[in-house]
Amino acid sequence: MTAQSRPAAGRMASFIPKTIGPWLSEADHVYDAETIFQYIDGAGEVYRSYNMKLLVSRRFHKDGRPDIVVDLFDMGSSGDAFGVFTHDFDGEAAGVGQGSIYKAGLMSFWKDRYFGSVSTEEENQDTKAAVLELGRLIASAIPKEGPKPKLLSYLPAAGLDAGRVSYFHNHSVLNYHFFVADGDILLLEQTASAVLAPYTTAGGKSFLLVVGYPDEAKAARAYESFAKNYMPDAKRAGIVRTEDKKYTASARAGDIVIVVFNADSDPFAMNQLASVQELIETANKK
Amino acid sequence: MSRNMITRRDFLKVASVAPLAGALLPALRAGRAGAGEKVKVVLVRDPNALDASGAPDAEVIQRMLDEAVRALFGEKDTVKAWKKIINPSDVVGIKTNVWNQLPTTSQVEQAIKRRVLDAGVPEDKVSIDDRGVLRNPIFQNATALINARPARVHQWAGMGSCLKNYIQFVPKPSDYHADSCADLAKIWLLPNVKGKTRLNILVMLTPLFYVPGSKTQYDKQYVWPYKGLIVSPDPVAADATGLRVITAKGREFFGQDQPPRMSPHHIQLADTRHHLGVSDPARIELVKLGWKEGILI
Repeated sequence: MTAQSRPAAGRMASFIPKTIGPWLSEADHVYDAETIFQYIDGAGEVYRSYNMKLLVSRRFHKDGRPDIVVDLFDMGSSGDAFGVFTHDFDGEAAGVGQGSIYKAGLMSFWKDRYFGSVSTEEENQDTKAAVLELGRLIASAIPKEGPKPKLLSYLPAAGLDAGRVSYFHNHSVLNYHFFVADGDILLLEQTASAVLAPYTTAGGKSFLLVVGYPDEAKAARAYESFAKNYMPDAKRAGIVRTEDKKYTASARAGDIVIVVFNADSDPFAMNQLASVQELIETANKK
Repeated sequence: MSRNMITRRDFLKVASVAPLAGALLPALRAGRAGAGEKVKVVLVRDPNALDASGAPDAEVIQRMLDEAVRALFGEKDTVKAWKKIINPSDVVGIKTNVWNQLPTTSQVEQAIKRRVLDAGVPEDKVSIDDRGVLRNPIFQNATALINARPARVHQWAGMGSCLKNYIQFVPKPSDYHADSCADLAKIWLLPNVKGKTRLNILVMLTPLFYVPGSKTQYDKQYVWPYKGLIVSPDPVAADATGLRVITAKGREFFGQDQPPRMSPHHIQLADTRHHLGVSDPARIELVKLGWKEGILI
C-alpha cells in the first residue's frame, strides 16, 4: 500500500462495521492492483481489468461459527464498480446498494465507486442473515450513489434482458460473457468501454455489443478489423449470415462500434443497429 | 492481426459439421501451425488413486508416477528412467502449486522428490516450492526443474496449466496477464528457467472443469475424480492433452458443446508463437496406462 492510498483505505474501512452480531472483526488487509494476486489467485486480473484502485479485506470471526469475509473494492469510478458487478449474474437480487446478488453464502453489490462482496465459508440461517446485514450496513455507509456507464443508454428497450447487461474494457471479459474470438479483433485494448446486452427474440437470444472508443479513428480501425476477421465472406457490407443460420451485423457511429450477434433475421439485425444509432443521435443532441 | 484468430464462427463451422465437436478446436488451431515430429505424453490413471476421504493414496501415486516415467523414457527400471533426466550433480527445484482449493498435493510432491533422490541427488540439493521460488537458493541455483501442478479451468488464462505454473518465476506476474495470459511461454525462455525443465506432471486427480464466477473460483460440483496424471517433458503437449480432457468433461456435464468462456490460447501460442512445444493432438503420441473407464480422450 502506498502512502497515497492509506487515507482512501481508512475511509473505506470506516464503511465496514467492526462487529456483526456475535462476530468480531480481525485486522484489515489492504491490497492494490499489484498486490491483489497475493490475496486472489486467478481472478485478480478481472478486478484489474476494471481499473481497481484498492481492496480492503476484513474477516469476522466467532469461535464455533463459520467466518465471514468482507472484500470492499474502490474501483475508481461508479462505471467500473457497476462493471465488475456485472461480471457475475448468478444469484438472486438482495436489495442492497445500487445492485446486488446473493447466492450460497456470497453476496455482491455495488454503490458509487465501490464494489463489495460479503461471503461466508458455510451458509446457514445465521451466516446468511449476517452476510446480508453486513452488505446493507456497508452500502448504507457509502454516502452517495454514482452514475451507470453512458453506453447503457444506447440499448433499445424492446426485448432487452436488462438484468444481464455486462460492462467491460477488454476482449477477455467479452469472451467470458460471449466468445467472439481468441484475439482482440475489436481492438478493445483496455482503452475502450463496452456493453454486451442479451435480447430475447422469437428464435432464442441475440446479443448486442456497443463499444465506445477513445476517438473516431480508433473506432474506424476496430470496425475494419472486425469486418476483416469475423465476416470476411460478407456479401453485403456490415452483415453476414453465419454457420448457425443466424445473422451478425455491424455498424459504426462516430467513435462507437455496434455489433449484433445471433440475430434471427437480416431485418432484425439491421433494425437493432438503426435503433442504437438513433439513440446515440438523440443523446448527442442533448 | 499478427496471428490467425479463432472466432466464434470457426466454432460454429465445426459444430455444424459434427455435433459435440468442440474438442476439435485445438486441432483446428494447431493445424495452422504445420506438422512435425510427435512428442510423447503419458496419461496414467488408477481407480485407487484416491482414498475413501478423497485424498491421494501415496503408494498408488508413486506407482502411477513410476509407470508413467518408465513408459515415457522406455525403461523397465524406474530409477534408470529418472537418471535419463536427472544427474546426481543436479540442483533440483520441484515447482509445485499450493492453491489451497486444489494443490499439487504432498503425495505427488513426495513421489517426485523420492525419485529425484533415488537418481542420486543429495537431499540438500532438492527443494519443493511455489510462491517462494525467486527467493529460494535451490531454485536460484537450479540446474533442473520438475514442474507439477493440478489441472483446472482458470478464470483469466482459460486453464491453470503447466505453462502457467511458472508465473512465480517472474517478479511481476501481471506483466504476463495480457490477452488472457497469451504469452506465458515467454517465461519459459527467461534465463532462470530456460532449458531446465526435465519433466512436467499435470495432476489430473480431481481436475476443475468449470468456474462459475470471478468470486467463486472453486466449486466442488465442478471437480471429478479422474484419478490421473499426465506426464511429459513437453509442457505444451501435457497441457494440450489435459485441456482435451477438461473440455470433454465440460461437454459431458453440460450436455452440449460450448465456446470457451476464457480462451486458453496461451497453450496454442506456446507452440505456434514461441515454439516451446507441441499443442497439436495429431503431433502428440499419447500413451494411455491403467484405468480406462471414463477416460474421455
